[in-house]
Amino acid sequence: MKTYIKGLLVLITVILTSCSDVIEVDVPVAAPRLVIEASIDWEKGTSGSEQTIKLSTSTPYFNSNENNVVTGAQVTISNDTDNSQFVFNDMNDGTYTISNFVPIADENYTLEVVYNGETYIAKETLIPVVDINEVYQSLDGGFDDEVLEVNVDFIDPVDEENYYFFKFREQGDLLPELLDISDEFTDGNKMNVFYEKEEDDDINQKEFEAGDIANIEFYGVSEQYSNYIRLLIEQYESVGDPFSTIPVALRGNCTNPANPDNYAYGYFRLSQVVKTSYTFQ
Amino acid sequence: MKKIVLLLMVFTSVLSAQESYTVSGVVKDASNGETSFGASVFLKGTTIGVVTNEYGFYSITAPKGNYTLIISYVGYATKSKDFVLDANKKINFELSESTTELDAVLVVAEESEQLNIRSPQMSVSKIKVETIKKIPVVLGEVDLIKSIQLLPGVTGGAEGTGGFNVRGGAVDQNLVLLDEAIIYNTSHLLGFFSVFNADAIKDVKLYKGGIPAKFGGRVSSVLDVHQKDGNSKDFRLTGGVGFISSRLAAEGPAFKSKGSFLVAGRGSYAHLLLKAAGEENSAHFYDLNLKTNYNLNDKNKLYLSGYFGRDEFNFGGNFKSGYGNASGNLRWNHLFNDRLFSNMSLIYSKYDYELEFDSFEFDWVSSITNYNIKYDLSYFINDKFKLNFGASGIYYQFDPGAINPTSETSAINPLQLDEKRAFEGGLYIDGEHKITDKLTASYGLRLSTFTRLGGQPLTNYQGNLPVVYNTTLGIYERGTEQGETDYEKGSSIKDFGNLEPRLALSYQLNSTSSLKTGYSRVAQYIHLLSNTTSVTPLDVWTPSGKFIKPQLSDQYALGYFKNFKNKTFSLEVEAYYKTTDNRIDYIDGSDLIGQNTIETEILNGEARAYGLEFLIRKSKGDLTGWLAYTISKAEQRTPGGAAGGLGINDGKWYNSSHDRTHDVSLTGSYKLNDKWSLGSNFIFQTGRPVTYPNGQYTYEDLTIASFSNRNSDRLTAYHRLDISATWVPNKKPDKKWKGEWVFGIYNIYNRKNAASISFGQNRETGANEATRTSIFGAVPSVSYNFKF
Repeated sequence: MKTYIKGLLVLITVILTSCSDVIEVDVPVAAPRLVIEASIDWEKGTSGSEQTIKLSTSTPYFNSNENNVVTGAQVTISNDTDNSQFVFNDMNDGTYTISNFVPIADENYTLEVVYNGETYIAKETLIPVVDINEVYQSLDGGFDDEVLEVNVDFIDPVDEENYYFFKFREQGDLLPELLDISDEFTDGNKMNVFYEKEEDDDINQKEFEAGDIANIEFYGVSEQYSNYIRLLIEQYESVGDPFSTIPVALRGNCTNPANPDNYAYGYFRLSQVVKTSYTFQ
Repeated sequence: MKKIVLLLMVFTSVLSAQESYTVSGVVKDASNGETSFGASVFLKGTTIGVVTNEYGFYSITAPKGNYTLIISYVGYATKSKDFVLDANKKINFELSESTTELDAVLVVAEESEQLNIRSPQMSVSKIKVETIKKIPVVLGEVDLIKSIQLLPGVTGGAEGTGGFNVRGGAVDQNLVLLDEAIIYNTSHLLGFFSVFNADAIKDVKLYKGGIPAKFGGRVSSVLDVHQKDGNSKDFRLTGGVGFISSRLAAEGPAFKSKGSFLVAGRGSYAHLLLKAAGEENSAHFYDLNLKTNYNLNDKNKLYLSGYFGRDEFNFGGNFKSGYGNASGNLRWNHLFNDRLFSNMSLIYSKYDYELEFDSFEFDWVSSITNYNIKYDLSYFINDKFKLNFGASGIYYQFDPGAINPTSETSAINPLQLDEKRAFEGGLYIDGEHKITDKLTASYGLRLSTFTRLGGQPLTNYQGNLPVVYNTTLGIYERGTEQGETDYEKGSSIKDFGNLEPRLALSYQLNSTSSLKTGYSRVAQYIHLLSNTTSVTPLDVWTPSGKFIKPQLSDQYALGYFKNFKNKTFSLEVEAYYKTTDNRIDYIDGSDLIGQNTIETEILNGEARAYGLEFLIRKSKGDLTGWLAYTISKAEQRTPGGAAGGLGINDGKWYNSSHDRTHDVSLTGSYKLNDKWSLGSNFIFQTGRPVTYPNGQYTYEDLTIASFSNRNSDRLTAYHRLDISATWVPNKKPDKKWKGEWVFGIYNIYNRKNAASISFGQNRETGANEATRTSIFGAVPSVSYNFKF
């Protein structure tokens, strides 16, 4: 909801402003930092035994195609209750995989990554998610009532704080659309989330039309992750607008206890996820 | 309290027992009967004189004798009158505009200028609305807020954002008064235009420092805007037609010539054009100014003034938003005798915004309301001493937000954030004292109190820490809640009190130059919550209380003032150093929208600012204008304090968003002939501090930027040149209808000034890009103004 309120300000500015162009800017360059993308996604109705963790390093902001994958690290997840250990295999391309992971809802896990003699630790809880009630298209809803959007409805469990994370992607698109939402204003109600695309010639983006397929991923996440991803999305979408918040160093949960300043970017998240897709009529 | 009594005794001891009489009266504009604020009234050949107050009143007490009274006021022909002071006398003056009687100006210029140099008041800028109207503006919309940004020490945020910054202060540190009523948001359409309709405004005074004891409650500045009283001689219509909006004002005598009235309205219609062009989103604004006054008798006068303004936004039918200020003020001027002037005011003001989300079936409303009672007195004791004193009380109601579902099917639960209440009291005394012929002082004391009133619950936190530092993750997060305490209505949650000394000294070096110095301490009890780069209309005000302390600023200033060539030129140089305690800043990732416990999102810090300002002004002749240059620094620091950790930016000083190292403005207007006059301004400013990315990485298939320290980079420098030409087609003096065309080009060399630079991933190519948003390129404008 808050995302939409902030979106409103951006909309106002868009209406009133005229001109924007891409320019060259000199930006500062920070030393590379380890990036841990440890997203343990347990798709509902599967065993969740196959998991992948990605390691890389950060690069200068405008450098593209730099080889920044991290190989030779040791990656282990342990279950805090029974101390069972899950050791990931280095695939030598920046990914580390496992095929016998055991996901248990509401269980606490610890991730340990050893790289370049430094040990990175992260702790999280595996968060379950409710089922999706209905997926349907509409014209009236969304930001623009003349543009098609796909809606996802689900029932929020009453009397508990719930945090959700959505990943939408139209089939064939390079980049996904992320959305975080909580039940702060909607506790116990049927909640609705929509995915709409507005026409933008600059990036060759078109509105949804019949035949388009939208992929939908619906995650349950922790409050801590919700805080992290909210800021990440906000900064990804609107950094530098006059009405955006001042961007900050984004810190996830991957700490370096022996050398706290050398923490890692990224996050260790464990989520139950519902995946579906919708074909526009 | 004891200190005040003591002070009173000191003041009274200054009273002399010489055989003296008083001459007093009111100074007005001959053409329309508007009272003149700040006119010099002088006894020729002496150093005895005063300036008129905001109601045009003056009072001079001098030993018995023969005198020549001289009245001078910038832009008006100076008047003089010989008289014998052998009894208390009442002499009213009416001044005519100076264009016709140039000689008179030259005759007495020497005397009248002394006062300006002598007055200890520094760091103040007074602009008449005629001057503001001559400044070229974007789209021909005369804008008071943009005009004051041309003064040294005053800057604004990005183009299209609201408010203004004074000497490194934040937007919420300005006390903006329209006929004494507090205006909480000065902008229309987010900041493209200001809420002040130039046709309804008489004059504007901006105190950048040395704030008189009469004012309190904001630590950076006071912008004191006075509405016109209304023409008391003739019925007049004034108006204008422009690209964006049109204006119409009517004024004239009322109550059988015992008073006058003014009604002014303004509305934008650009949205109608957009609609016609098929644009379904729209934005528009309107406002209404009212004023009337009534002379009960020689000693009593009533004033009633009001303002109502509103902005409306509409997006494709699914989102609506509106916001606006409303205010009203009833004043009673009472003259106890020819030396004791008083004014009592009853003031109401309110600011509110609403959002309506049809898609989500809910609306959101938020407001701040205050009721204010004020009593101010000026006692013109003798030729050496004038005493101002008074009291005020403000009752505030804060409604930080209420969310309501707008349909049965809405997913939204109703929510009311805790309403807050507070009372702010003020008691002041302030003397203007001519100590010797060369040394003049103004010294005063303000006692301010603030009570955060009950009628709401407050959350308790473990260890009384609403914010704690998570040492493992290295971030600040909300503290652990431990139930809440309910404070009954009428009880006090927290009380604050501050003694605020104000001191200003002026030493006259010779007949054309002086040195001034000043110190002032000001407390601020209410704060605007904003964690965005620029303030937005959706920001919420919050009172000091258990968790937020009052801001307290100390400012020191030193200045040199000189007049050249019969006051054709003047030079002002001022240096200032200002510190502000208890300036809050927001923790990384702070979330203020719909936030009931603001205390969990903030840390207490401090701010400091210092700078050097130069102003060269030419105020006579066909070419008038000024050159202003400021070099300054504004920073803040927010340590972790009790929450632990080093604090924001590791507890180091960082640039405030409104820090501008260099700020130059050159403004001029030139009268070519009777039909044509030209205006121009040039502005150069160091770029706004921003935070740039210092790296990138991939997460969830997106390229995520990492960032350097808060505000450690800068946008490119801002500069532009504007021109305007005013054409008066048919100048026949006897014709009642007077029209003029104003042609302008804003940003004539089409500089693409970065209002912002945003960093993001191109969604088609996936590459990172820096996108510059520039709001106004070269913008031509035509508007037509008329008087009838």
